[in-house]
Amino acid sequence: MSDVHAKLSGLTVASEGGQGTAGDYFALLKPRVMSLVIFTALVGIVAAPGAVHPWMAAMALLSIAIGAGASGALNMWYDSDIDALMKRTTSRPVPRGAILPGEALGFGLTLAVGSVLSLYLFANAVAAALLAFTIFFYAVIYTMWLKRSTPQNIVIGGAAGAFPPMIGWAAVTGSVDPGSIALFLIIFMWTPPHFWALALLGKDEYARAGVPMLPVVAGVAETRRQILIYTLLVVPISFLPALLGIAGALYIAGTACLGVAFIWYSWKVFRSGQGDAERLACRRMFSFSIAWLFGVFALILIERMAGLPPFHSILG
Amino acid sequence: MSVPAMAIKPFGPEDMARRRKRAIALALVLAALVILFFVTTIVRLGGNVADRTF
Repeated sequence: MSDVHAKLSGLTVASEGGQGTAGDYFALLKPRVMSLVIFTALVGIVAAPGAVHPWMAAMALLSIAIGAGASGALNMWYDSDIDALMKRTTSRPVPRGAILPGEALGFGLTLAVGSVLSLYLFANAVAAALLAFTIFFYAVIYTMWLKRSTPQNIVIGGAAGAFPPMIGWAAVTGSVDPGSIALFLIIFMWTPPHFWALALLGKDEYARAGVPMLPVVAGVAETRRQILIYTLLVVPISFLPALLGIAGALYIAGTACLGVAFIWYSWKVFRSGQGDAERLACRRMFSFSIAWLFGVFALILIERMAGLPPFHSILG
Repeated sequence: MSVPAMAIKPFGPEDMARRRKRAIALALVLAALVILFFVTTIVRLGGNVADRTF
């Protein structure tokens, strides 16, 4: 009897599926995150030594973008319960009811398999394996495990967002090299201060949803301190591309200016008071952190496009 | 044993219009994929297409 009820209620739910528009499915791909992935992967492709046919590079970039979208869809499938509890995420397609969780899962898995296979065809096995690991890391390690279990979620999980330039680099060279590790490290160390600024703004919502973000578990003061520490660490790390022979004088000058500003904004968060002053400082820090990452990677791209020579690598 | 009535909601005109738009979007994506893979094949083959022996 209960089986019959279960089956019939399943039919009822199923009949309410399939209502998502193309726009809803596009939203599942987290297009804003995807745009940053595309840009950093492009820089990885351009910065890598060696040449690749422009069409194949474009197809590799498309595969990486779709892989990032797959991660976003899988994240929205698994997190639909807590997304429904937070103002920032409540209008996402799954908590809004436009797309059923099962539909998001199927969409995400299809894109994940398709993107990895196509990157293998368009580039090589190393790049495809890195993309597969990135999707796994974001969907399983970060979303299913770390996010709900430790305040270090964004520190370790940030690796998923740091892989794209390494994948782009590997699409050209077929290997993982010190230069691509440097690009990885920049994003890896940038993610905590970037995301914690946002977490400070939404700490009450994270607490309500039961997500152990650093401001919820360790408090506001400790989070501000960690933001400052990570910013002080990521700024010197951002000079690594010049030391490893993939960037030159323009990069050094631009990154130095950006670094000073980044430290200034994190200092403002560290020293900000409560209420509106804190919110303003966090919002500015969050916005500038995006501009900082974009600027650092854009400098590499500009140098390559302008034909400016990089410094000699300290590794020879 | 009483069986509850199935509460399957029939699609209305708005639902059908939304599904139609989604189907068109999916068709366009599939067509784009065909073109992308075709061009990729041509790029991969390169000059070998012209040099082949019959």
